[in-house]
Amino acid sequence: MSTVLWESLSAWWPELILSLGALKVILAGVWFKSPRGALTFAWLFVAAAAAALWVAPVPPSTDVFFGLIVCDPFSLVFRWLALGSVAITLLLMSASRELPLSLRGEGMGLLLAIGVGLMLMAEANHLLMAYLAMELVSLSAYLLVGFLRDARSSEAALKYLLFGALASGIMLFGMSLLFALTGQLSFPALLEAVRGLSGPMASALLVAVSLMLAGLAFKISMVPFHMWTPDAYEGAPAAVTALLSVGPKAAGLALFLRIMAALAPAWPALAPTVLGLTVLTMTLGNVVALVQTNVKRLLAYSTIGQVGYLLIGVVAHTALGHEALLLYLVAYLFMNFGAFACVVAVVNETGSESLEAFRGLSKRAPALALSLALFLLSLAGIPPLLGFFGKFLLFQSALDASQAWLAIAGAVNSAVALYYYANLIRLMYFVPSESARPVRPAAALHVALGLCAAATLLLGLFPGALLEWLSAHASLNLL
Amino acid sequence: MALTALLACPLVGMLLILALPKTAVKAIRSVALLATGAALLGSLQLLAFFQPGRTQVQFQEKLSWIPQLNIFYTVGVDGISLPMVLLTALLSFLACIASTSITERQKEYYALYLLLEVGMLGTFLALDLFLFYVFWEVVLVPMYLMIGIWGGGRREYSAFKFFVYTLAGSLAMLLAILALYLRTRSFDMVHLAAMGHTLDLGFQQLLFVAFFLGFAIKVPVFPFHTWLPDAHVDAPTPGSVLLAGVLLKMGGYGFFRIAYPIFPEGAQWFGGTMALLGMINIVYGAFVAMAQTDFKRLVAYSSVSHMGFVLLGLAGLTAEGWNGAMFQMFSHGVITGAMFLLVGVLYDRAHTRNLEEFGGLGVRVPVYAAFLIFFSLASLGLPGLSGFVAEFLALIGAYGRWTWQTTVSVLGVVVAAAYMLKVIRQVLLGPLNTRWAALPDMTGREVISLAPLLLVVLALGVYPLLLLQIQDTALQQVIAHVLGQPWQR
Repeated sequence: MSTVLWESLSAWWPELILSLGALKVILAGVWFKSPRGALTFAWLFVAAAAAALWVAPVPPSTDVFFGLIVCDPFSLVFRWLALGSVAITLLLMSASRELPLSLRGEGMGLLLAIGVGLMLMAEANHLLMAYLAMELVSLSAYLLVGFLRDARSSEAALKYLLFGALASGIMLFGMSLLFALTGQLSFPALLEAVRGLSGPMASALLVAVSLMLAGLAFKISMVPFHMWTPDAYEGAPAAVTALLSVGPKAAGLALFLRIMAALAPAWPALAPTVLGLTVLTMTLGNVVALVQTNVKRLLAYSTIGQVGYLLIGVVAHTALGHEALLLYLVAYLFMNFGAFACVVAVVNETGSESLEAFRGLSKRAPALALSLALFLLSLAGIPPLLGFFGKFLLFQSALDASQAWLAIAGAVNSAVALYYYANLIRLMYFVPSESARPVRPAAALHVALGLCAAATLLLGLFPGALLEWLSAHASLNLL
Repeated sequence: MALTALLACPLVGMLLILALPKTAVKAIRSVALLATGAALLGSLQLLAFFQPGRTQVQFQEKLSWIPQLNIFYTVGVDGISLPMVLLTALLSFLACIASTSITERQKEYYALYLLLEVGMLGTFLALDLFLFYVFWEVVLVPMYLMIGIWGGGRREYSAFKFFVYTLAGSLAMLLAILALYLRTRSFDMVHLAAMGHTLDLGFQQLLFVAFFLGFAIKVPVFPFHTWLPDAHVDAPTPGSVLLAGVLLKMGGYGFFRIAYPIFPEGAQWFGGTMALLGMINIVYGAFVAMAQTDFKRLVAYSSVSHMGFVLLGLAGLTAEGWNGAMFQMFSHGVITGAMFLLVGVLYDRAHTRNLEEFGGLGVRVPVYAAFLIFFSLASLGLPGLSGFVAEFLALIGAYGRWTWQTTVSVLGVVVAAAYMLKVIRQVLLGPLNTRWAALPDMTGREVISLAPLLLVVLALGVYPLLLLQIQDTALQQVIAHVLGQPWQR
């Protein structure tokens, strides 16, 4: 008993460090009222977690904590993605002028807690664990969305909370149905039990899985469970929006893949629906984004569109599809965070979230405008940027899985999406600004921008090494 | 390494310019001139060492790029790509000289200009489909910004239309490239061409159409041409020169390099449509050009008409037709480039392009008049100048297979004479409009940017073999391959 626990703990250092960090940072922020100290501690713990993950990426025995979680190579990618999201969000938070200084300590503590939750979501090997991880992320996120404490922010948080609670309830209901059918909660055992179901029991299984997926679809903003996204994104501080648009999406997709692997017998019946919703998700996101005038809402719908592309990798349901999904997630991490870093810089300077605030940015802040253009072009899928290579792989995986229509839908959507991405570039470069005052982003933003821009461009030019690393970690066997 | 060095010239120039402060306009301009000049010298050196009789790709370089997907950095030239490389390098250098009309945001302008040259050169050098696609798309962004920032008229709208239209076409091409890869596991153009005949007909037809969409929008083929007049008219002069002179050729080049060799049966199946579209392009473009009052718009529509000869020659699938089509790509690039430069010269002085407002300028600006008359005659296909050779060969080559389409197309040549002579009459002849009594003639710099083009047009018209001997071997080989003889490389 104690040896199992000890082995488990030693395989789980990054999460452990991050959890301790969350407590310590909240303590520093709330008790000692020292936002600077909180920031330093947050960085220390994130760095320590990264070091721990670097030193011991995959433990020898992957079944830790009595099979509740699994630290396999697949989850390793997502643990890095979660750490990356947390680190970049930390940069954005420390530079954002929106967040009241007195609250930053709490915010950073919650951020680290979300980091733990994101990692757990990708590692969950048990329905209970999956639910707990999702709730950890959600509860912390509800709080962060309402952090501005103005009417809009509070409304967004309340909306997010209500929708989220409903989705959790639905998901929990699905899980309980599943437990009633099989008597199992652990993923490998579920797969065994589900294989034996037939007749009316198999139909009941479909209901249970659909309900669970509905809850997950809420997390990843998949149509028709996307309605909360634009409102929550608009009301939340820009740094938090950035986190929400990447972290939970990645972890949600990881959990999606794991649940689908555990309930594989139900997949053939569900695949057509998921396929249809995938096309719907990208189309709705991209089309509605065309008419947005608030940059956060624009990026919210863009996120929905991007989730649609990511789901191509899920629907393809092949090793290539998973690989493409992982690569696009890495690309998405850098390009979307990069775009949000620019938004934080502009909001800091102008206090406005309207697209008009970007007018003439190329004159006021050439480097900022150039990097935002880079991120937008990458999101639009223009080579030689990383976003293009990700899309290239996703479309390839769709064609490879004989889902030509999916690839065509993706391509048509890319052309549509170019409209609103190019529109923002148009505002920055073609339209003169009313104010000539230069925009000077804070140092932390410079770091975030430089990192994201370098990754988007260099990994896009030379994706070989990244692809190799990811394909070693992508596997169809997720149990 | 000759080709990588050629690509590096503008790329290094761009990086240097980015490192310079934006107030150092003189230094920025000098770097840009040096970079484009070096690229021109590099391409001339290629010409000097090129062996015209060989069927193999020359100066080939092959480096592994993304090994997991069998993607290589493969570049090389043969008789099809070399003329295009020369054209790109020449026009880029001359249009760079003519870029003095750009008076604001020079740093951004020249950096984008050089990036554009990298993309254009790369498109013609690439022998790997993935690499080709990357370069193909790299061209879009600088041109979009160039039209949108330094253009005139409805520049934002035109830039947008250009971007979205071409991207939509490229995406069809991207899917086709992926489908082709999944079938053959290769992006190597030479390898793919060699196995062209082994692909089944339905697959070939489908992919040919997808590639056709990508290339046709670029050429542009009727009915995908509507972006062209807007983009050409609203772009700044150097942008128009490169758009008409080089970017349109990227589409035509795609047919020669990719669509025909890799999908030979698909191409033959599509031949009738191709000839028909070529005919429509020629006749429709000519008549619409005839109706224009804006000088630049007239030249833009004349491009639609002239590019039709490329399609018609291609559809002919004969040595004459293909040589004519290829010759037309080069010749049209030079002539239209010069025409847009001439429009720019006039516009810089008069600030109008309305043909009806001019008149009698021949007396006032004799040097300009001489250039305009020369290039107008070249454009309408006067024997002894390069345009005639190209159109004559294309018509002859297509006649055997597509008789009535070719016959109707001749109408385009007649109308071309009409609208080009109309330009000469309205601008140069008649009584001098007193508004232009003080119009200065061309400056030395403007003469320098146009004189080389004049020499090229004249040389190719008098002695077409200069170009024909470079391209003929490669073209003959591709035709033989498309018609069913085995690939010999």
